[in-house]
Amino acid sequence: MSASPASNPKSPDISEKNKKYDRQLRLWGDHGQAALESASVCLINATATGTETLKSLVLAGLGSFTIVDGKIATAEDIGNNFFLPSDCAGESRGRSACRLLLELNPDVRGQHVEQPLERLLDTEPDRLQAFSVVVATELTDSCLSRLSEVLWSHNVPLLVARSYGLVGSIRLQVREHLVVESHPDPDSVVADLRLLQPFPALAAFCDSQQLEAMDRAAHGHTPFLVLLYKALQRWRDEHDGAPPSGYREKKQFKETLQQFRLRTADGVPELEENFDEAERAVNTLLTPPSVPEAVRTLFASQQCNSLTAKSDDFWVLVKALHEYVENEGEGLLPVRGPIPDMFSDSDRYIQLQNIYREEARRGADQVQRRVHLLLESLGRPSDVITEEQVRHFCRNTHALRVFEGTAVQQELRHLRLPANEMAAHLQNPESEMVIYAMLRAAERFRSEYSTAPGAEDDQVETDVIKLKACLSRLLSDWGCQNTIKDDYVQEFCRYGGSELHTVAALIGGCAAHEVIKLVTGQYAPIDNTFIYNGISSSSAVFRL
Amino acid sequence: MEGPADILPSTLKKSVVDAKLLLVGAGGIGCEVLKNLVLSGFKNIEVIDLDTIDVSNLNRQFLFQRQHVGKSKAKVACEAALGFNPSVTLKAHHDSVMSQEYGVNFFKGFTLVLNALDNRAARNHVNRMCLAAQVPLVESGTAGYLGQVTVIKRGVTECYECQPKPAQKTFPGCTIRNTPSEPIHCIVWAKHLFNQLFGEADPDEDVSPDTADPELTGDAAGSAALSEPAREDGNVERVSTRGWAAQNDYEPRKLFRKLFNDDIRYLLTMDKLWQKRRPPTPLDWDTLPDAVADSSSSSTADSSLSDQRLWPPAECAAVLERAVGRLKDQLAARPAGDHLVWDKDDENGMDFVAACANLRAHCFGIRLNTRFTIKSMAGNIIPAIATTNAIIAAMVVFEAFKLLEGRLDDCKTVYLNRQPNARKRLLVPCVLEKPNPKCYVCAEKPEVTVRLDVSQMKLQALEERVLKAALNMVAPDAELLDGRGTILISSEEGETAANAPRTLAELGVRDGARLRCDDFLQNYELIVNIVNSTELPDGQEFEVVGDASQLQPAAPARADGEAGPSSADAGGSAAANGSGNGAGKATTTVEDDDDLVCLSEGEDGTGTDGEVPTATTTTVGTPASKRPAQSDQGTPPAKKRRALSGSESPEVIEL
Repeated sequence: MSASPASNPKSPDISEKNKKYDRQLRLWGDHGQAALESASVCLINATATGTETLKSLVLAGLGSFTIVDGKIATAEDIGNNFFLPSDCAGESRGRSACRLLLELNPDVRGQHVEQPLERLLDTEPDRLQAFSVVVATELTDSCLSRLSEVLWSHNVPLLVARSYGLVGSIRLQVREHLVVESHPDPDSVVADLRLLQPFPALAAFCDSQQLEAMDRAAHGHTPFLVLLYKALQRWRDEHDGAPPSGYREKKQFKETLQQFRLRTADGVPELEENFDEAERAVNTLLTPPSVPEAVRTLFASQQCNSLTAKSDDFWVLVKALHEYVENEGEGLLPVRGPIPDMFSDSDRYIQLQNIYREEARRGADQVQRRVHLLLESLGRPSDVITEEQVRHFCRNTHALRVFEGTAVQQELRHLRLPANEMAAHLQNPESEMVIYAMLRAAERFRSEYSTAPGAEDDQVETDVIKLKACLSRLLSDWGCQNTIKDDYVQEFCRYGGSELHTVAALIGGCAAHEVIKLVTGQYAPIDNTFIYNGISSSSAVFRL
Repeated sequence: MEGPADILPSTLKKSVVDAKLLLVGAGGIGCEVLKNLVLSGFKNIEVIDLDTIDVSNLNRQFLFQRQHVGKSKAKVACEAALGFNPSVTLKAHHDSVMSQEYGVNFFKGFTLVLNALDNRAARNHVNRMCLAAQVPLVESGTAGYLGQVTVIKRGVTECYECQPKPAQKTFPGCTIRNTPSEPIHCIVWAKHLFNQLFGEADPDEDVSPDTADPELTGDAAGSAALSEPAREDGNVERVSTRGWAAQNDYEPRKLFRKLFNDDIRYLLTMDKLWQKRRPPTPLDWDTLPDAVADSSSSSTADSSLSDQRLWPPAECAAVLERAVGRLKDQLAARPAGDHLVWDKDDENGMDFVAACANLRAHCFGIRLNTRFTIKSMAGNIIPAIATTNAIIAAMVVFEAFKLLEGRLDDCKTVYLNRQPNARKRLLVPCVLEKPNPKCYVCAEKPEVTVRLDVSQMKLQALEERVLKAALNMVAPDAELLDGRGTILISSEEGETAANAPRTLAELGVRDGARLRCDDFLQNYELIVNIVNSTELPDGQEFEVVGDASQLQPAAPARADGEAGPSSADAGGSAAANGSGNGAGKATTTVEDDDDLVCLSEGEDGTGTDGEVPTATTTTVGTPASKRPAQSDQGTPPAKKRRALSGSESPEVIEL
């Protein structure tokens, strides 16, 4: 084209939707947003905690939600639930909440099922299979146990959110959750640019760079990767081919690097920023590349080594990756592609970018070939895993994670932790495990007396005694002494089983956070119980 | 309505009903806080926010809907909350909290003030107002998955300004005008250009080649005489850029030719600049490449969204042509003398900046970026989501409860981490720090030291850039403590106008001079100690240091990305104050957005005088440098902690 630049410019097409979601797209990207928009969440019971959870999901553009609730809204519900209008007393709680929640975002679909969960579990439990995540609130232990069993068997994640007076908890039950993008802390990720084991295209490019023949501008704009490569060559010549290792050698290596700097007539080194960058990178980039421990664990796992036609795509990809590493990869993961910003002229920067990108593509193509072969051997069509999926996977090989959860049903039946460990937690007055035990005791109270401890003002005194008895029995089931102070029992009776809106808002925010992690497959979810203690503004995570 | 606060202790219940609260900001955190307050039994709340509702707010500011776009946040938020609970007394102020109307007496009328802001200037201001009025303040902020809440009480805790904030990144004018080397330099230039052509033109935002570049004199250290580019002889064009464009009817190709060809050729004649740099290439409209040099475009290669696709230069020119045409029409539709205001969410303004930044980058061999990325950098966008705001807003209310119960000792600074930390805590409470005795805001007799060149700095610059911009005063008076009480600056209109263009030296300010500066609105008096210095780095005009004993060579603003000075040793005896954000005349300030060092919900605040949502800091790995409040009682008080740091609102760039 020469007459005029792009004579028919495309409209930038920044849709209303992209504008609306702009601030979150910057966190989880288009693909995360797409996953969210195709997700469906089921909320059991439209309590304040439940609707606060859905609120954050609806605002973010969740695909659809279903509220299962057989209750009628009471004045107390309305008093602490923003999504129950003041005139809805006596009406279906689920229907009222559904209507107001839908007002938040016209892109989201929502419906309600006007029956208690128990009935749904009796009549059509399979209906729950269809959901991406089920969020449960306000369930009795027995009902929760049934729900847990059904969802565990269908591998549908379950999030139990609870707010109780000034405390609250979230319990995540997920049989197996596979994360490609765990977004590890960037500081903890060792950049792997293959300087110690340069692939042919990288070596050829670096070899073509003649530092001695460059003018000042070109010299000072040579990407620091090239400088490190050159210095490494010289170092190896002087050290029988071995790279610098350890603090002392790396320090000496920096001196080797200095030898390449331009000098003035008086021998003073010129200010060259690219050399400063090279020096700063010595400690991190000259570490021999290796397959991270977490990924090696995946390679060794049973799911990876006994693929079936029903295996998740993730495991097929892990298997293909493992085969790649053992063969073409020569012990290494594929090059990821992106390179850091650096001081450079753009021509050479872009060349380098393309060299790494090309190498990443080559690796991904080889993984893809292996994926095809595996799918074929499993009797599955070879296109069920797309090229884009493979590329995305290969860009994130360093961040692959698998979470294996535990069932709530099991937790309700017996304690996973050794009794002495639990006892140690409970003896520590600052441990949030005390709150966990109190929540469990309060549920036991509810199961036995069909009401929350302290719910009736005139029963508080007797409820304190009963709750204490529930707690003692729970702890004895766990093999622990009752070391919990009576103050907690009093405090829990004072709550009378009510939800405080602010706690519900906090737990709802945390629960929605976890749902987003689950449906986008990004970030590590909580493993597996979060306890919030509003009495001390503290929180803790336990695996139960 | 059933008492929602039934399970609160009865003493607290009464305080909640009687309390009168001021909520500053009705954005992301503000909406959540307002809902929580109304549902917790509070009866009397005033909300102030000068912002209006934007589409990009709707993913989290749940009191607003599509039909509210363009309306006052404070008003719509109050209407929505009243609809839920008509028994509450709510008052909305669609106004800047920094306006003169809201003096110390206004603040004294409240039991508590809750900040839900998004910018440092407003946070600093509310901090001072609350200190002056002796009203406790709950301060909060979020950025993406991170968040923070803290409590400020005069004389008991650190104030918002006790710890230096991470410095803002500044760019010397000549880097922007002559020798850009990074994409951000081109983006800053493009925003300046927008203002020159369509916005409020600022002489400090010139975009033409700067012949007064210190490098050109061969005295790269920047001699004093050249540190302030003289407009008359420093520019190529004497006609203003706007005037030139108007004469040429904003003809896109002529603009293009001047900006990307004539001016570049002119720069090339300054050969000293290119001895060690790659010289720029003038562009020709008809021969722009229509493919991107790196074939598969950006890292989000597969995105079909056009703002996440890298535009080749030819497309940039086409986008520029279209955007200029539309902006010209927009400008013409305004009353004579009026101007446009750049907004990252305005499609044409954003297209213009993205296209111009990339064309300039193309001239200088700097890598191009997608519109999506440029928007982030130009708009200083801080990601924001509903979940984080919900969690932080709940924490705000909990801290408010404790204050109302008189349990200040139990108040905490609480950080929300992205993932549970090594101690398995997602929410990390930390003990509130004691006030910094050397704080230049909350100390008994606050003092601060400023390094500047008295023979160069004009009084006007002292007022605008030092006292107002850097030290955050609103309408300062300044008196020279020379035994005669010479009044240098009076906040009364016109009283000292004659002094404005004179240098400090001409007015008798010398090395070691003490100025008593007073802000009536903030009820704030500060002694400014002047240290004369002709050697400030990087074209900086001045530098704020804590006290003279801390004086050391000015550190470059770039503090290796992390929280920088904010991790200063607060337990030490002499924590330096002053953020070192001495942005001089020839520099441009931009928030460093490398990583989420600073938290700031809100990103949608409009203007630095805004109030919207919030801010504070935290790095991803926060807890390491903090002092956990629980379980660590036995350990000696850790010294390191992180300071609140208001990240600026996105618009802080103020270009």
